[in-house]
Amino acid sequence: MHSEIFAHVNQATCAAENHGRLFGKRVGVQSLFCVRGWPCTGGSKALEGFHPLEDATVIQRLKTEGAVLAGSTRSSELGLGIAGDGAAKAVSQGLVHAALMMDTLGEARVAAVKAGLFGFKPSWGRVSRFGLMGLAPSMECCGMLASNLDDIARMLETVAHIDERDPSMAADKPTGTSPALTRAGVFKELQDLLEPQERSAFSQAVSRLEQAGLTIREAQYKDLSLFAAVHQVIAAVEASSSCGKFDGVRFGHRASGGKNWNEMYLQTRRESFGPLMKAFLFQGAYFQFEDYAAFEQACRIRTRLVQGLAKLLENLDVLVLPALHAKREPASPRDIEELYRAFSLTLPASVAGLPAIALPGMVRCDGRDLGLQLVGSWGTDQGMLALAQRLTTLTQGAP
Amino acid sequence: MMPTLQAVIGLEIHVQLSCATKMFCSCPNRPGDEPNRNTCPICLWLPGNLPRFSAEALEKATLACLALNCRIQKESAFDQKVYYYPDLPKGYQLSQFHRPLARNGWLDIVQEDETLQRIRIQKIHMEEDVARLVHEKEGKTTVSLVDFNRAGTPLVEIVTEPDLRTPADAMEFLRTLRMQLRYSQCSTCSMEQGTMRVDANVSVRPSGSNVLNAKVEIKNMNSIRHVGDAVAHEIRRQESLAMSKEPIVTHTRLWDPEARITSPMREKFEGPCVPDPSVPPIVISEKWLREMIRNMPEMPGLKAERYMNRHGLTREEALQMSAERNVSCYFESALDHQAPPRLAAQWIAAQLPPLLKDREETLENTPLDPQRFAGLLLMLEREEINANAAREVLRKLCESTASPAEIVVQCGCRQVSEADELEALVDRVILENASAVENFRQGASKALGFLMGRAMQASGGKANPRLLKELMTSKLKGDGQ
Ligand SMILES: [Zn+2]
Repeated sequence: MHSEIFAHVNQATCAAENHGRLFGKRVGVQSLFCVRGWPCTGGSKALEGFHPLEDATVIQRLKTEGAVLAGSTRSSELGLGIAGDGAAKAVSQGLVHAALMMDTLGEARVAAVKAGLFGFKPSWGRVSRFGLMGLAPSMECCGMLASNLDDIARMLETVAHIDERDPSMAADKPTGTSPALTRAGVFKELQDLLEPQERSAFSQAVSRLEQAGLTIREAQYKDLSLFAAVHQVIAAVEASSSCGKFDGVRFGHRASGGKNWNEMYLQTRRESFGPLMKAFLFQGAYFQFEDYAAFEQACRIRTRLVQGLAKLLENLDVLVLPALHAKREPASPRDIEELYRAFSLTLPASVAGLPAIALPGMVRCDGRDLGLQLVGSWGTDQGMLALAQRLTTLTQGAP
Repeated sequence: MMPTLQAVIGLEIHVQLSCATKMFCSCPNRPGDEPNRNTCPICLWLPGNLPRFSAEALEKATLACLALNCRIQKESAFDQKVYYYPDLPKGYQLSQFHRPLARNGWLDIVQEDETLQRIRIQKIHMEEDVARLVHEKEGKTTVSLVDFNRAGTPLVEIVTEPDLRTPADAMEFLRTLRMQLRYSQCSTCSMEQGTMRVDANVSVRPSGSNVLNAKVEIKNMNSIRHVGDAVAHEIRRQESLAMSKEPIVTHTRLWDPEARITSPMREKFEGPCVPDPSVPPIVISEKWLREMIRNMPEMPGLKAERYMNRHGLTREEALQMSAERNVSCYFESALDHQAPPRLAAQWIAAQLPPLLKDREETLENTPLDPQRFAGLLLMLEREEINANAAREVLRKLCESTASPAEIVVQCGCRQVSEADELEALVDRVILENASAVENFRQGASKALGFLMGRAMQASGGKANPRLLKELMTSKLKGDGQ
């Protein structure tokens, strides 16, 4: 049943004993999250048969708060892109109330909008990454999808806790209740990234936001087009390192017939990764081994981009942009270039580690939902969810 | 004519830190245990795990940096040193390549001509050790086994500037470095047990030149002596290449301690180093650093100075008392109990080591506590016992908890210093040995020694030798008048 959605179905879904924040909520978790006793295959042969010894910290939190874990949803290979992903389907078909899904390029946000759902990526460092199959550690976050914002808010409250098992988490706590967010910025340079029809659909949505009471300001940001390249170089390098552990020795698929360890490694990795992942790892290895200067430059530009966005957000509460393009299909890219082109609008928040939420049904273009994406200052996760709730109510009537 | 050549030597020293746990997980830091006992999902690097940097590793590494006079950097960070080999199953080693913990240190060494030379230390960085590979035969096939006990254990790597010129200096540097590090208690620094590993970079150039020529790295030395031998061998090899005008190419050579030669080894692939995104940068606050500096023990150099200036020790005695921390602790503790400093230094250096060796004890665990040891030395200084008796009492002190005074009473070896008692003794010996007395008066000075021996024997070894001699001499001369 639902084998195209779930990689593993939890047979023991009895009612949770804990009457917590998520009591009775059915939650799906992507097969990139470690759940003790479940296979954790992350959409890759490299993880074939891998059974984690422990729960991821976020899984522990879900259990503590009374969630019913329905199963692990299918994933693109190691969470790169959304090809074959089952998380959004599980929510939109009503099999679960909410889902956890890795967001590295914007996967959780894009998959949500495509399925008419809300998709949220928290601030980097607010949710523990312990027990997650990491691909690009500095880009990826535990994203969440649901059909309503209340479920997302509950999920966020559940999982956003300092965890000593993830030392990269930010130590400073975000300020609890922030003042209502009202000032929204629209990148002037966005017009260069959007097709004419996308532009007009988006400006209609912006007008509705203005009618709903948001102050709209134009934000000048000439570096907007750099996010994609910076993300691609850094994420590929990090992925190349992260995937070093897939050697077929301790877990996962192992090729037979190698004459020595080196041949065994090579053959195992050849058989384990799909073409898109291989291309990505090649790119990462290229920058590691052949053009380290380019990687260093990408890191420097990233610092500048992070500072640039933070500066813009000193006088603005959120930045507004669509979540996806009308004519670029994110679910079936032929190569890395196409993949990055399809995700170009979600990459800025990933590169800068900022919280971002994608709202469905607010930007329509040629019958396709482009999603309205809000990107806020670091740590304003709760305030952003409140703003999203307000906008949803005002522009679509009562929920 | 060929100009004379000068060797240029730099060292890279890996030191295993004496921490309770590994560097990024809480497994015990005991690589020698039964294979794969000390492992967990983090150091096996199973998917989903994240490294958790150990505070103790930072403390011990900082001690090493302070002991070597380095400047601790306010911010340092871990990189991933990427290479693929079965001893490194995650595909990279966490090491501080771009931003090391400390820079710009130095150590002064005493050269062969007794002058001091300052050897600069370029940097000290932290890194995790890799797993140990064991190659075995299973029937006819070779199998490679991996022992993860060592994977992730904490190391620092110390890199010197190429300031050393002779094998003897290199050895002296290593002995000084080892003394400093052991003193700060950050490592046991045993090359034999593998807690200190040394690679040497050697090149040659015409004397007086400042160029740095192609260097050859030598590995696999298991003792400081081997380092000296291997470096000496490599210098000779390069000199003869230079003589015959053959080029010297940069490569790595292995020292063979049996054959006492080096031979080229296959180059290990040098991968790139990229910043690690999961271990946060290490930020050191001034307050924390001040506390670390405050807790640093007084280092041997300063200690030796103090022993000479304050306690009147000779340089040799001061060096003996300061070179090892347990010795200086014992020495200072004895001084706290009023032991005469020079006597204490001499007895700790000469009398205690053979005694402890016999009893298979160390200064830390011997029942001979510094207080009773000091008590004994005081009695010796006050001439209440003589040196022979003191050695006897020392042995007895190890076997009981009695005070030195009690033992002296028990064995009746209190020195006889009372004038009339000694006088009676001398009179008797002179009476009983008329011919020896006669010999002495004829000018045979040997006879004095004979008579002294007789008198000492008669006292049961307890007579105060100084007083006895004075008395004997004056009696013999007096009688002659
Ligand atoms: Zn471990």
